[in-house]
This record gives sequence, C-alpha cells and structure tokens, in this order.
Amino acid sequence: MKQPLRPAARAALCAACVVLLLAETVVVNVQTTALRKEPKFYAPALVVLKAGDRLEAIGSQDGWLRVRTAAGAVGWVHDSAVGSRAFALAAVDKSLQTKASADEVALAGKGFDKQVEDSFKARNRTISFVWVDRMLKIKTSSAELERFLREGKLAEFGGGR
Amino acid sequence: MRRRRPILVPLVVVLAVLAATSCAALDTIQQEAGKVETGVTKATSATASATKTARFVRKTFGDISEEEEYYIGRSVAAMILSRYKVYANDALTRYLNGVCAAVAVYSDRPEIFAGYHVLVLDSAEVNALAAPGGFIFLTRGLLKRCQDEDTLADILAHEIGHVCAKHGLQAIKKSRLVDAFRIIGEKAADRYGPSELAQLTDLFEDALADIAEKLIERGYDRKHEYEADELATVYAARMRYDGGGLIDFLGTMVDSDAGGADRGWFATHPKPEDRIKRVQGKVKVFRREKARTNRFKAALAGLK
Repeated sequence: MKQPLRPAARAALCAACVVLLLAETVVVNVQTTALRKEPKFYAPALVVLKAGDRLEAIGSQDGWLRVRTAAGAVGWVHDSAVGSRAFALAAVDKSLQTKASADEVALAGKGFDKQVEDSFKARNRTISFVWVDRMLKIKTSSAELERFLREGKLAEFGGGR
Repeated sequence: MRRRRPILVPLVVVLAVLAATSCAALDTIQQEAGKVETGVTKATSATASATKTARFVRKTFGDISEEEEYYIGRSVAAMILSRYKVYANDALTRYLNGVCAAVAVYSDRPEIFAGYHVLVLDSAEVNALAAPGGFIFLTRGLLKRCQDEDTLADILAHEIGHVCAKHGLQAIKKSRLVDAFRIIGEKAADRYGPSELAQLTDLFEDALADIAEKLIERGYDRKHEYEADELATVYAARMRYDGGGLIDFLGTMVDSDAGGADRGWFATHPKPEDRIKRVQGKVKVFRREKARTNRFKAALAGLK
C-alpha cells in the first residue's frame, strides 16, 4: 500500500496549486514604470519596465501587485500601471492564451498615435508642441517624493488633525 | 497515533476553486469574444473564439487606451499653450510638479501613460485647466490667490480628479469615437494608409475641438466639477492635507470678478458658493504644517 504524502509534500502540492491559481499575466500600459522593492512609490526601483512588458502577478497588497518579470526579477508595480489582465491560461487552454495575447497585441500599438499626431501637426503648423515636450521632461524622483512627503509631514509621515 | 488527513480533501478544494476560476476566465473571454465586429464570425465556443481575427469592439471614452489618452492630451495641451504664454520660472515649476506628483500618488490613478505635469500660464485671470493624460495648467492669477501649500494641493487634487475621472475624454462625442474605433479596428498594417490616416486625423481634430470647447470655452459639466471637488477632498484627506484649503480658495472667488465675466474661471466653473455648500461637510480638516507653508512661500516668492 502506498504511504500517504508527508505534510511537507502536501503543503508543497497545495502551494503549487495556489500559485497556479494566482498566476496571472499583466501587461505594462504606461510609457515607463519601476519595478519597486516595496509597495510604495518612493521605494527604490529595481528595474525600469516599459509599455508592453508582460509580468506574472504573484500576489497583491493595497493596490499593488507583486510581480515577476520575464528575466526573473521580483518586485512590486502599482495596479494602475498595468492592464489587460489576461489569466495565465496556459494551464487551462493554450489556444485561449493565444487569443488573449493576439487581441492585446492588436490593440496595443493602434489608435490615436504618433502617426496621427504628426498628421495633425502637419495640418496645424501654428500649434507648437515645444512646451508640451518640455513639460514632459519634468520628473520627480522617488527620493524627491519621499523627501517632499517627509518634510511636509504628509500621508504616512503625517501631522495631526 | 494522530490520524493523517488525506491530501485528497485540500486538493479537491483547490482544484474546485481552480476550475471555478478557470471557468470565470473562460466566461470572460467568451463575453469579450462575443463583442466581435460585424463581419467576423461570432464565436460559438470559447475555443472557437480564439481566432486571431477577432477584435474587441470599442465604443465609449472608457475604451480609449492610456496611450491614446496621452496623444489626445498632448494635442489639447498644445492648443491651450497656443492661447496662453508660459510663465517660465524653473524653481516654481519644479515645486508645483513636486506637489502634483505627491497628490497624484494618493489619487485613484497614480500611474498614467507619461505621468502628471504642471505648467504655469502667464495670465492674471484666475483659471486652472486639466487636459486628458495629466497635462495641468494653473494661471499666475490663480496662484496669487493661494495662501499656502494645502490650498494649492487641494486645487491640484481637483484637477487630478478631472484626469482620474476622464472628464476630458467624456467630452468627445460618441459618434466620433465609434467612427475612429471602426477605422482603427480595420487597420491591418503597422502604419495607416493615406486615406485612413486622413479620416482618422479629421476625427482626431474633431475630438480635440470637443474637448477644447468644454475645457477652455464652456467648462466641464457642473456634475463633473462637483465630482472633481469631491475627489479632491478624498485625495487631500489621504495625504493629510487640510481639505479646508479648497473652501478658502472658493471663498476668495465669491463676489470676485477676477478673470472677467467671459473668460477663465467664471466662464468655466459653477458658482463658488454652490461648490462650497456641496463640499463643506465632506472636507477633512488637518493641521497646516509650518514646513509646508514655508516651502510654499519660498517657491512663490518671486511670483509677479
């Protein structure tokens, strides 16, 4: 007669099932974002992520997703930076995964895009984009954000009522 | 001897949940696949729906992607900047962008395609404008009415609220979006051909005109202004900024003729006394920390 599985093996098997349950693919839908060490916007960035990068979601906490990149890096991204939450359907039906991916790809680079903007610019030469491009270059780093919040006694560094 | 629970029970539970989740996923995909465009064979099963020719039908402003919102916002911002001169003051601009970035983090859309950005418009009129995609503009005249950082943050939270709730995109007439999405959906190549590009540019220009009319000329619908006020009180409270700053600012606008009757704030916003009445019971009061007021005064010291 077969021996019952040891508790450790049981736990591992259950954990594997749970991981399979939670496995979800998300796609970065902002120009760039950071894979962060902790679920906070001022936490150090581990890797820079770009639009279209696919991530495996392995957990969540207060609007943040714990994810694994294709290269194996693990960290946190904010929920608002990702979209198209196609379930990782590999375990269920490979063809469906293909379908979801095909649609995401079909929509990803289409619509009102740079080509349309260039066409608009050609028709409206008096409208200047110089300041638009200039304002987009203004960035607030994670360290500056933390200092701003801390010095201003804001949010989790907050003052009294 | 302790009796071992068979693995079967937890395993069955987990597999049942897995099956349910998978079914939910299948249902979702079936529902989405049901939204295929006319002319594409409607799927009868989930697997059959896994055709690469299927397209989701996009119909409303909610279906505009982050990247499209960014491109729409860029052009709306350029249109605003063709009407106003920029007040170029690097230190002030950096400070305002710092406040904006911090408020955005505690909003409902902390991350948008290219982030939130603020510029000061060199105008004595009192006005604030938020284009889709996070392009925010404050006039010099408005800044002069702010007493401290809490007031400024509340105003920025109101503008960020417009972006989060996509009020600008909601100004686009639905028929334009339906036409644009149809052309976009038909595109097979990487780039648009001359004919479809011309049609799409027409629709893009019309969409920009819809937004500009609301944003610059007539103002967002009253319900959107009230909604942005409510969102501002929520975001301010999350940050522990004093929501009373919004009421202080609106109070300065009562019986004021700043900006003239036909342009700026008064042309584009509901009566300040109505807005005060609506948000009064909703704001959370926090101590206005001296450190915040000091850095605010330092940043605005040279403002003309």
